[in-house]
Amino acid sequence: MRKKLVLAAAAGLVASAMALSACSGGSGGSGSAAGGENAAQSGGESASDDALHLTFYYPVNVGGSAAALIEQICADFNEENPDIVVEPVYTGNYDDTVTKIQTAIQGGTPPDVFVSLATQRFTMASTGMAMPLDDLIAADGEEGQAYIDDFLDGFMLDSYVDGQIYSIPFQRSTMVLFYNKDAFEEVGLDPEDPPETWEEVVEYGQKLTNENRYGVGLALNSGSAQWAFTGFCLQNSVNGENLMTDDGKQVLFDTPENVEALQFWLDLQNEYKIMAPGIVQWTDLPTQFLAGEVAMIYHTTGNMANINENADFEFGAAFLPGHKRVAAPTGGGNFYISSGISEERVQAAWKFIKFATETERAAQWSLDTGYVATRESCFETDLMKDYYEEVPQAKVAYDQIPYSAPELTTYNAAEIWRVLNDNIQAAVVGDATPQEALTAAQEQATEILAEYQ
Amino acid sequence: MQRKKMIGAGITLFAVVLGILWLIPLIWMIGTAFSVPSFHMTLFPTTAFTLDNLKYVWNAIPFGTYYLNTLTLVVCTFAVQFVTSTLAAYALGVMDFKGSSLVFAVIFMQIIIPNDVLITPNFMTLSEMKLIDTKVGMMLPFYGSAMAIFLLRQHFKSIPKALAEAAKIDGANTWQTIWRVYMPCAKPAYLSFAVISVSYHWNNYLWPLIVTNSPQNRTLTVGLAIFAKSKEANMQWANVCAAAFIIIVPLLLAFFVAQKQFMSSFVSAGIKE
Repeated sequence: MRKKLVLAAAAGLVASAMALSACSGGSGGSGSAAGGENAAQSGGESASDDALHLTFYYPVNVGGSAAALIEQICADFNEENPDIVVEPVYTGNYDDTVTKIQTAIQGGTPPDVFVSLATQRFTMASTGMAMPLDDLIAADGEEGQAYIDDFLDGFMLDSYVDGQIYSIPFQRSTMVLFYNKDAFEEVGLDPEDPPETWEEVVEYGQKLTNENRYGVGLALNSGSAQWAFTGFCLQNSVNGENLMTDDGKQVLFDTPENVEALQFWLDLQNEYKIMAPGIVQWTDLPTQFLAGEVAMIYHTTGNMANINENADFEFGAAFLPGHKRVAAPTGGGNFYISSGISEERVQAAWKFIKFATETERAAQWSLDTGYVATRESCFETDLMKDYYEEVPQAKVAYDQIPYSAPELTTYNAAEIWRVLNDNIQAAVVGDATPQEALTAAQEQATEILAEYQ
Repeated sequence: MQRKKMIGAGITLFAVVLGILWLIPLIWMIGTAFSVPSFHMTLFPTTAFTLDNLKYVWNAIPFGTYYLNTLTLVVCTFAVQFVTSTLAAYALGVMDFKGSSLVFAVIFMQIIIPNDVLITPNFMTLSEMKLIDTKVGMMLPFYGSAMAIFLLRQHFKSIPKALAEAAKIDGANTWQTIWRVYMPCAKPAYLSFAVISVSYHWNNYLWPLIVTNSPQNRTLTVGLAIFAKSKEANMQWANVCAAAFIIIVPLLLAFFVAQKQFMSSFVSAGIKE
């Protein structure tokens, strides 16, 4: 034991010596200057040397083309603002992005502006990674207020930490019910009358299920189960109580209503046998739907374009079936500005965010990606009206937003998600009853959140 | 005798089954990469042959640059590791100096620490050195390898001193002794470490993603992630497979060409990945 300690100490000495020599190798100067250089290298063409270089981290969650679209938005912005160069940096998925931001901040080269999950806002605020935007909005006067008011209320709910706005909605989605109209007709159901209640889900599901097809599909893998679960819990609560308190400091997992909701999932699988047993992956569910292997799926509106393009049957989209009330969860990513960057950079970043969320651009982004347009005025544009004419199913997402609520959002959201997902899965595979699973989730989550009380 | 044969046949059968299990994902991946996207998942493609997936993926992101970067990364890293580890292993394994076992123990401990834990400290060091978003920065933390030093030291130790002494009598200096005696004898160890090093750096994702920003400095795995990590909608398996295919082809070819040598070197070096 003692020998090990000596060795460890020696290792520490060597490491710190190396770190020291490394430091003396560099010649002071601020980290963000290095970031600027990088940006300049990759930027190229139009950028004049005295332009302000902003680093913009973005995750891609909807496939290859989204990266090209984001780069286009940046290029358009740079053309319009010759004194600013926004450098987009692809940073993997949402988890990778958070890791990269944290590392970059510790290394002294924070990004200036970034996209991260709306559910990260408590973490972003409490760790000082992102700054509140209220002063920037106030500085824009009436225009600033109008800008904020124009965002759909359902999405803005996800922007506040202790009454301050920390993020601006960007790539946002909500969950809807996709259903196969041909299958409905085949079993004698009215294809224009999708299920509106849990009871109808069971009733329709039983009719739709046969040897080759399940009636209903839910993705229960880690990272997806908590999203769908938010929806079912909201639907099963008379007052629309969410899985957490608004301040993000407490979870409400083990209420009798939520236990009922989880029990309903298990019943779909085990009692009615209208949903595939075990855990179906989020990314496989639409594939199964398109292959005709499942007749109704709970999935993101982000899938609308994909399903519309690839379904060789008539499909419908509908509100999530309600129970005690009609409700759905929202999700997705928002814009943040790093804290601790210079005032000049903050102003430029704010300009970029407003540019990227301009009405026309937000509408186009929605059409190109399948995300729900974030602003009220988007729905007044011809672009959007034409799209709804062409794909009437897409309008469901917009109509449903007033009934929606934010997904599970707390301090240390990643850990809390893991706790809930793990325990839900324990119940799904039969290791725990719904009551046991949610009690365990409640206990574990409360422990994690203890330090934020 | 009969019984022995039975056991032998059983082992062969087991090996064949394992081999097929290993092959299934590969067959599926290649089949999917080269056929028209379909929503029915099957082991063998049921849709028409196409090169469109490959074309789309290749043009969607700068794979050419990524290829060059990954190759540079892998080759340069291994070349430097080759030199540093040989010298370190010789010093620790052959030259007897005071405290050599302590130094070795310190180096050895590095194997215990997973690389992901070191991302932040490494990043901070590189940031001070202004090497963020450079290829050198991406490689620097791996220029010394505890694994290689350990492997070579063990090998050098097993080489009879008499060989080195004979070389000395023939007039060889230290450098010549390393070059002519130790290195040829340790060839299996070099080969097995080459496999470990190359495949690790070829597949490394998080570190290159974090330490680089501009497409000029990014690697193949970051390119793959843009397809494979997109999970908001449905998985576009055809694209994911096409990208994966582009990435694994060189390693796969290298493996098929040199598998005999890989096998024998792993057996004689006595290590598993």
